[in-house]
Amino acid sequence: MDSLRTLRTLGEELVICRRIAALRLRGQMEYRTSFLMQIGGTLLGQSTELAALVILFHRFGSLGGWNVGEVIFLHAVSQIIFSLADTISNGVQTIPVTIREGEFDRLMIRPVSTWLQAMVNDVSLRHLGMLIQGSILMGWALWAVPIDWTAGKVALLLVSIVSGVALFTVIFTIEAIVAFWTVNSIEAVNAFTYGGSDLAQYPFHIFGRGIRFIFLWIVPIGFVVYYPSLTILDKPDPLGLPGIAPLMAPLMAALFCAAVGLLWTIGVRHYRSTGS
Amino acid sequence: MPTSTPIIEADHLSKQFWVADRKEGRFAGLRSVASRAGHWKGGVSDISFSIQPGEVVGYIGPNGAGKSTTIKMLTGILVPTSGRATVAGITPWAHRKELARRIGVVFGQRTQLWWDLPLADSLELIQHMYRVPADRFATNLATARELLDLDPFMQTPVRQLSLGQRMRGDLAASLLHNPPILYLDEPTIGLDLVAKTRIREFLAELNRQEGVTILLTTHDLADIEHLCSRIIVIDDGRILSDGPLATLKERFGTERQLIVDYEDVPASTDLPDAGPAIRVVSQEGPRVRFAFDRHALSATQVLARADTLGTVRDMSIEEPAIEDVIRQLYERKKEK
Repeated sequence: MDSLRTLRTLGEELVICRRIAALRLRGQMEYRTSFLMQIGGTLLGQSTELAALVILFHRFGSLGGWNVGEVIFLHAVSQIIFSLADTISNGVQTIPVTIREGEFDRLMIRPVSTWLQAMVNDVSLRHLGMLIQGSILMGWALWAVPIDWTAGKVALLLVSIVSGVALFTVIFTIEAIVAFWTVNSIEAVNAFTYGGSDLAQYPFHIFGRGIRFIFLWIVPIGFVVYYPSLTILDKPDPLGLPGIAPLMAPLMAALFCAAVGLLWTIGVRHYRSTGS
Repeated sequence: MPTSTPIIEADHLSKQFWVADRKEGRFAGLRSVASRAGHWKGGVSDISFSIQPGEVVGYIGPNGAGKSTTIKMLTGILVPTSGRATVAGITPWAHRKELARRIGVVFGQRTQLWWDLPLADSLELIQHMYRVPADRFATNLATARELLDLDPFMQTPVRQLSLGQRMRGDLAASLLHNPPILYLDEPTIGLDLVAKTRIREFLAELNRQEGVTILLTTHDLADIEHLCSRIIVIDDGRILSDGPLATLKERFGTERQLIVDYEDVPASTDLPDAGPAIRVVSQEGPRVRFAFDRHALSATQVLARADTLGTVRDMSIEEPAIEDVIRQLYERKKEK
């Protein structure tokens, strides 16, 4: 009963936050030119990275036994996940500023989750340039690699993307949580956000044992991009994990979310506001 | 004092802040989180009071005294280091969201509204946040629009509002869900006299009509004289005094002033057997201002002595202003 009520409350809070987000977006769309230029900028920036990849393959032919189409598939999945997460967690990423300026107070006096409020506090679609590029890449990969699509594979891809978006959003939250204790920003977290998304663009087995351990069992990025891709591309698992590994994305993401959620609650209790 | 259950109760509340030593260089953030180096800084210590439903209480003290810290604990923003509190039957920091439905909060220094949205949109969002039923929202909004005269700027983005308009908007927003308790932190700060008066009248009306309990911090003592039936004075994190304004004045405002206008400018202002209970505050031409301790001397006794300096044409007595009362209160504390 109790968990049912929690779920209903969460649903209601989500509806409220969607309203806030819609109003904020409406304001943003009034500056359409600036919006389009931001998206164009992101698109251009990302293209250079892709050019580097193409040159790399031109020189070496394959990467860890994966051909260019397969690696582009990884790139596409990783970018789609990261751009969606980056877009919805724009507000979460500004939490340290909110805390430093004492503005977090105003979230604390509302009967809605502070995290959700922060999320819709600053909505921005400018990171969607990456989503456009991710979709173009996906088109390219689907053209270059003959994938034997089944309903199961489509479902697996969608579930993994959703898990991935949740995972990255939560990684962005870690940096926000640290701000409850210190005004210094923790650049180290960037190794897991931007670093993690870069890493996910390459076949996971080319990395060393230490990196693999971290990105599988501590920050489970490997489970949301690499393992589902193995199954979708019908490739064997060179790391020899149990056969269930490609289906682990939702579970691993959920565990990670729960752990960070707990940290968030502790962090909020340490919030010290500013002034006297 | 009425004997009903208090609506706000602070019980030995203390809050100390841990200030970690700031680190420089590589991984500064990570190291300062991990490190234990730092020191405790006092916020408030051992704050206890209880407020009955319908009271309007002024919470005053100098900057850094701990006013905001106390309010933030009673709103659930800060978790105290020790002590207990109950607000509307709820421990604020343990059940922040439930408490939020029962309190209205206005911080004079920063708005609770959305900076880039028109006031009307902000109010609508708040309606949904607090799940205020549509009909009640309509009634409350109509009342607020009328009493706070919101109509001229309902469609203006909050960032373009004047300070006074913004404060009226904030007040309206804090009351949409009919909270029985209203916390106001410096509600009249930076406002001109007209705006201040308007806010004060609104608050007094709100308390009279709806019985809303109000706890307000302010530096403007006129706020207190117009609104508060009771004053809690805090300094250096501790409560110095708690009671009605009259008691406060009687206990600490012992110094009255006698203003005497002479026919001619008096040659000297040396009073016969003056003593410590009486002194000359100022002299401007034929007008001399004497201050005296109300417990040591009566006004007639002072006048009798003033009469020896020249022919008295007119005189008047001034009761202590609240500013002086507060100033004396702080001074007494320092002497201890």
